[in-house]
Amino acid sequence: MSLIKWSEEGGQVRLGLPGDLDLPMAQPLLDSLRHALSAGGDVAVLAEGVERVSTASVQALLVASRAAAEAGVRFVILRPSEVLVETCDDLGLASWLNRWSQS
Amino acid sequence: MEDLSRFKQTYFDESAELLAVAEAGLLRLTPGTADADEVNAIFRAVHSIKGGGGAFGFTDLVAFAHEFETVMDLVRNDAIPITTELVDTLIRANDVLGTMLGYARDEAPVPPGTGDAVADALRRHQSAPPPATDAGPPHNDLDAAFAAAHAAETTHPDDEDDEAGIFGDAMAAILDARNPSAAAAGRQRWTVVFRPRPDLLLSGNEPAFMLRALRRLGEAEVECHLDRLPGLAELDAEQLHLSWTITLLTGPSVDRERIADVFEFVADECDVTITADAPPPAVPDAAAPLPDALRSPSGPSVPAAAAPPPPPATPEPASRPADPAAPRAKPAENGAAQHAGLTSHTIRVDLDKIDRLVNMVGEMVITQAMIAEHVRELPPGEFQELLEGLEQLAQHTRELRESVMSIRAQPVSSVFSRMPRLVRELAGGLGKEVQLVTSGETTEVDKTVVENLVDPLTHMIRNSIDHGLETPEEREAAGKPRTGTVTLSAQHRSGRIVIEVADDGRGINRGRVLAKAVEKGLVQPGASLSDEEIDHLIFLPGFSTAEKVSNVSGRGVGMDVVRRNITSLGGRIGVYSSPGEGSRFVLSLPLTLAVLDGMVISVGEERFVLPLTNIVESLRPKPSDLHGLVNRCDVMMARGEYVRLVHLNRLFGIPGATEDATRALVVLVETEEGARLGLVVDEVLGQQQVVIKSLEANFRRLDGVAAATILGDGRVALILDVAGLRDMSRQGGSAPPRAAAALPAPEPAAV
Repeated sequence: MSLIKWSEEGGQVRLGLPGDLDLPMAQPLLDSLRHALSAGGDVAVLAEGVERVSTASVQALLVASRAAAEAGVRFVILRPSEVLVETCDDLGLASWLNRWSQS
Repeated sequence: MEDLSRFKQTYFDESAELLAVAEAGLLRLTPGTADADEVNAIFRAVHSIKGGGGAFGFTDLVAFAHEFETVMDLVRNDAIPITTELVDTLIRANDVLGTMLGYARDEAPVPPGTGDAVADALRRHQSAPPPATDAGPPHNDLDAAFAAAHAAETTHPDDEDDEAGIFGDAMAAILDARNPSAAAAGRQRWTVVFRPRPDLLLSGNEPAFMLRALRRLGEAEVECHLDRLPGLAELDAEQLHLSWTITLLTGPSVDRERIADVFEFVADECDVTITADAPPPAVPDAAAPLPDALRSPSGPSVPAAAAPPPPPATPEPASRPADPAAPRAKPAENGAAQHAGLTSHTIRVDLDKIDRLVNMVGEMVITQAMIAEHVRELPPGEFQELLEGLEQLAQHTRELRESVMSIRAQPVSSVFSRMPRLVRELAGGLGKEVQLVTSGETTEVDKTVVENLVDPLTHMIRNSIDHGLETPEEREAAGKPRTGTVTLSAQHRSGRIVIEVADDGRGINRGRVLAKAVEKGLVQPGASLSDEEIDHLIFLPGFSTAEKVSNVSGRGVGMDVVRRNITSLGGRIGVYSSPGEGSRFVLSLPLTLAVLDGMVISVGEERFVLPLTNIVESLRPKPSDLHGLVNRCDVMMARGEYVRLVHLNRLFGIPGATEDATRALVVLVETEEGARLGLVVDEVLGQQQVVIKSLEANFRRLDGVAAATILGDGRVALILDVAGLRDMSRQGGSAPPRAAAALPAPEPAAV
């Protein structure tokens, strides 16, 4: 199973998403997001390599974005892959992704 | 899984059509000018293939399609100019997409490197303008990214197309390409509220797939409800807290049941309500619940009060966001108009089902012939009503046969449409200027024939351009226009389809053909051959006059393969050439491979069937009508012209037949090329519809025989090939029976 890549730089946390974000990856993703947001700094999720994504993982990102907004922490999904974009479109979350992503 | 396979099959079928749409559009792209609709249609086709591929996890295909789509997006935004090189790259990209679809269909992995060169070329075209989407923020400075993420709405290149959904988009692209006016056909608006149970994900179900499946039914607007989302600390990653309201615009062919089918496998794990916003044809209620099978066992569907923000009962059509890429999305103005769409006039039917139908009709034709055979034995003047009923049955059977055959009929345009590209590539590769003129594209013929026409026509057009047409300089020197013309035409003639490939090139160089044939030992040195016979030498296996072998032609596997392919379809090929003026190849093929109208004849104890379309008349000649040519053949004077007599008993070695033509009958037949023959037979037994059974498939090919059939009395009879008989009679003259030509007894032929 590919892992979520964690890196920190200048108080900013970057999470590199794996290619496969299926259901079993949702919990590790959620844990990573919780941990990143709890650090209090900016959080960037690098999503260019996502080739498969489950609704559960999208839901985790969604909840994280709301938590970030409530906590006043800056949060961004960087370069969402085509698959992620399309899945969000399918789920009716295109505008949410637009709001929180940067290509 | 079976359900997914069905969707996959639909995806592949539609993708094949979309590839054809894209290729046709690409071939019409002219450097310097671009038809916006055309470019959009290509973009949508590629986008739809990509979208569907993503749904099924064809990652290589999706990645490649993305590069293709990106370039098309730049083209439609006038960000890059249309050049010949770009069009060539896009055409090759379309090919690669087709290849990748082939791998996906075969469930085979895409070999590494597939399409890499084309993908690189696509990227080179992308690099011309500086698209902002490629840049991305630097990793070590996220400020810009954060700022942008929280700034005004960003856009994604696909936004304007996504509303139509993957398969809805695909179908729309096809419909747009075929009939733009169909785009505005009547629609039905549905509201679907989908509220999964939290543990739905644990059973392996994926809501995104269901929402995608809904999109395939039409144009979907999906609203996701977040009201049940817990906080980050409380979230259980594998529990689902989302629900959706989908507004679906469908064609009239989509009913409530089809929508409910999407949720068939999660019936126990979700609450779904499907609301027809305008009265559907059969159930004009406002908010009917799911069928019983889809109800939650624990109770009815979620009441409106408990549901997520309920959709308006009758949403205003104008409230839909404008969709510049989908003008087809205009909702129907009233209920009656919703069912006038073109989509309701076509359905996709599995070919096996049609073939079973064709087979059953064939068996019915045989049975009807058997009954007719028995009825002939009834006393004359009796059972009049029965006879009249049987006559009606025969007529209805004929109409049924024609109707069924027309289901399998397809226009040859599906083959013709591939040729402009071939011509373009060949002309470019050979440094020739060529225009292709086509006619009769709507001529219909059996699907099997259409499918098997691709290779022969490709060979013939290659041949015409490579061998037939001169270079522009040579043409100018010969007083011809620099641009050579290849004409491809189709028409119905005498119950067959006749396809011609003609060019206005140099014609067949008979001296060279003959010399080559002698050199290869195909013809004896010093042999005297007519022009026609020399022309036909090009159909001999291994014959080629090309001086050097190229990837265009010159391996000597062209025209003999063409003839073999055509013959295997029950067809014939002829060539007509005039030096300096050009050549004409004429293919004659049966319209259907299943049933034909024939005349049953007898020779000795054997019975044969002659296609009715070949028969001119039958007559009994007087002795003064017959003439013998020494060592050649017998001829007969018929209607003022001499006609070669062919004794079928001699040709096939049938004993006990009448030798004397003045005591037998002569059936005057005509080939598609207009050549006449007189077939000497014992008796003409009568006209009959016969079901064609392939000899090649069940036994082996026989000269002079097109196929076999089963007669009303259960006997097997061979269906004669008139042009084949003519060729045989030329080779054998009217000499006494030849052992080599002896016909195997028809009875053992296991048909």
